Amino acid sequence: MELTKNLTLGIYLPGKTALHCLDPRTKIAGAAGLIGLLLFTNNYTAYAFFAAFAFGLILTAKIPLGYALRGLKPMLPFLAMMWLFQVFLQKPPGSKVIFSWWILEATDAGFHIGTLMSIRVLLLFLMTTILTLTTSTVELTDGTEALLRPLQKIGMPAQELALTMVIALRFVPTLAEEAEKIIKAQTARGVDFKQGNFIQKMLKLFPVLLPLFVNAFKRADELITAMESRCYTGGTGRTKMKVLRMGKNDYYAWGVFLAFAAMQITLILTIAPPC
Amino acid sequence: MEYLIDFRNVSFTYGSATENPVHALKEINLRIKEGEFIAVIGPNGSGKSTLARHFNGLLTPTSGEVLVHGLSTTNSNQEKQLIEIRKRVGMVFQNPDNQLVSSIVEEDVAFGPENLGIPQAEIRRRVNHALATLNIFKYRRESICHLSEGQKQLVAIAGVLAMKPDCIVLDEPTALLDPFGRKQVLESLKKLNRDEGIAIIFITHFMSEAVYFDRVAVMDCGEIKMDGPPGDIFSQSSLIKEVGLDIPVAAQLADELIQRGFPVAPGILHVEELVSNLCQLKSKI
Repeated sequence: MELTKNLTLGIYLPGKTALHCLDPRTKIAGAAGLIGLLLFTNNYTAYAFFAAFAFGLILTAKIPLGYALRGLKPMLPFLAMMWLFQVFLQKPPGSKVIFSWWILEATDAGFHIGTLMSIRVLLLFLMTTILTLTTSTVELTDGTEALLRPLQKIGMPAQELALTMVIALRFVPTLAEEAEKIIKAQTARGVDFKQGNFIQKMLKLFPVLLPLFVNAFKRADELITAMESRCYTGGTGRTKMKVLRMGKNDYYAWGVFLAFAAMQITLILTIAPPC
Repeated sequence: MEYLIDFRNVSFTYGSATENPVHALKEINLRIKEGEFIAVIGPNGSGKSTLARHFNGLLTPTSGEVLVHGLSTTNSNQEKQLIEIRKRVGMVFQNPDNQLVSSIVEEDVAFGPENLGIPQAEIRRRVNHALATLNIFKYRRESICHLSEGQKQLVAIAGVLAMKPDCIVLDEPTALLDPFGRKQVLESLKKLNRDEGIAIIFITHFMSEAVYFDRVAVMDCGEIKMDGPPGDIFSQSSLIKEVGLDIPVAAQLADELIQRGFPVAPGILHVEELVSNLCQLKSKI
């Protein structure tokens, strides 16, 4: 088991495209806005328009199309199941039965609801994929912190949350390395992690997880001591070395977003949903 | 005169006074001046890590007092004074992995100055200076997990350096490093001491490292048994062995030669010194 070798944090694809270089705040808020729009989209034309926009984003970011779509693959069985449930179980009054077999009956409304919902989930996932493909984890943390900072006034510990995220990300490779060491040590003492059925395999992981957890607590303890020694006293009174700045490109991006949002809302309002 | 760090009759007991008390420090008196380059050495369980934690108030004495620039670590129910002390006394720990906060080198180095609320431009300046001083500027945007253990320890030292301390206490910083990493860390510390005038207090159980320092304090059973220049310390080989520490090979050889009546110069610590000394002797014969 080579955990550390294949370990990528997030799925960031480094690059220098316009989308990569945007302020993370713009990207996070933009993605959130687009996802918000998706939740209200209710007809095929609007979804097609949205998909075209998403495709445009992928082109701008120079993400290989296959790479972006591959991320959707694990979703497909789940989506298929959801679609089947919607098709066979949705029976709003006034809907026509379009297909029946044994005790199952599919309605036209169910078909539309299922299809729209599947498209929505796919696009939703695609939006977050585009965000994480073009934004490094460090930028994501910085951006989230900056966006949450106004909420500090009403008691939201934005700085502390961001620092927690930073530390969590920092320790992922360290703990993965440690897990690998423990697995190797256990293998050397005769544990075969590949043998046995699912439950037996799970049970074999306990002797790996236990020392990992104990050590994680030890590490946390040492880290706290080190942080205290470096004068950490909580979020108040801290400054930041890196300050986020909105550039010209960010204002263009907001312009594009607003124009798109206006058109999308028009499409949602003017075209009647198929059911 | 005011000392940089002044331990006055410091005792420290783990656990309660009535049930199984462990006396980790017993009546320690230790004075350290500005710009000193000192190693504290002792076997496992001698109380040296407990001592280290007293330098910046992570632990406070059960009795006695620790003064940093005249500021006591004990009266620090006011957090401000403790912050002032920790600003002046930086601390580096054994495991570099467990003291780095951020996954990016320069962001970790900035953590300390950020905590002090220093303006942004000044933080950038300090971070760049600290990284350049330790010769790791080129790794500033690297991810911590891609660095060697020795480099990680240098990042930890840079993080402390960026807070502009008067003194850096290092608690067995080389224990987990390979020989190359050890050398890197020791050389960097020497440079910090020489060029920046920062006092270095280096806690270790490797005798071979202690010889690089100007002053060596030997700890055992919670007491400081010996304190002086390394030459004086290692010439008292019987005392060192009593404590359970090894004498550096060169010093031991020189000592045994002297005992057998050879006119070797006293106070030899390094192999090179011994070689040149023996060569001189040979040429005289």
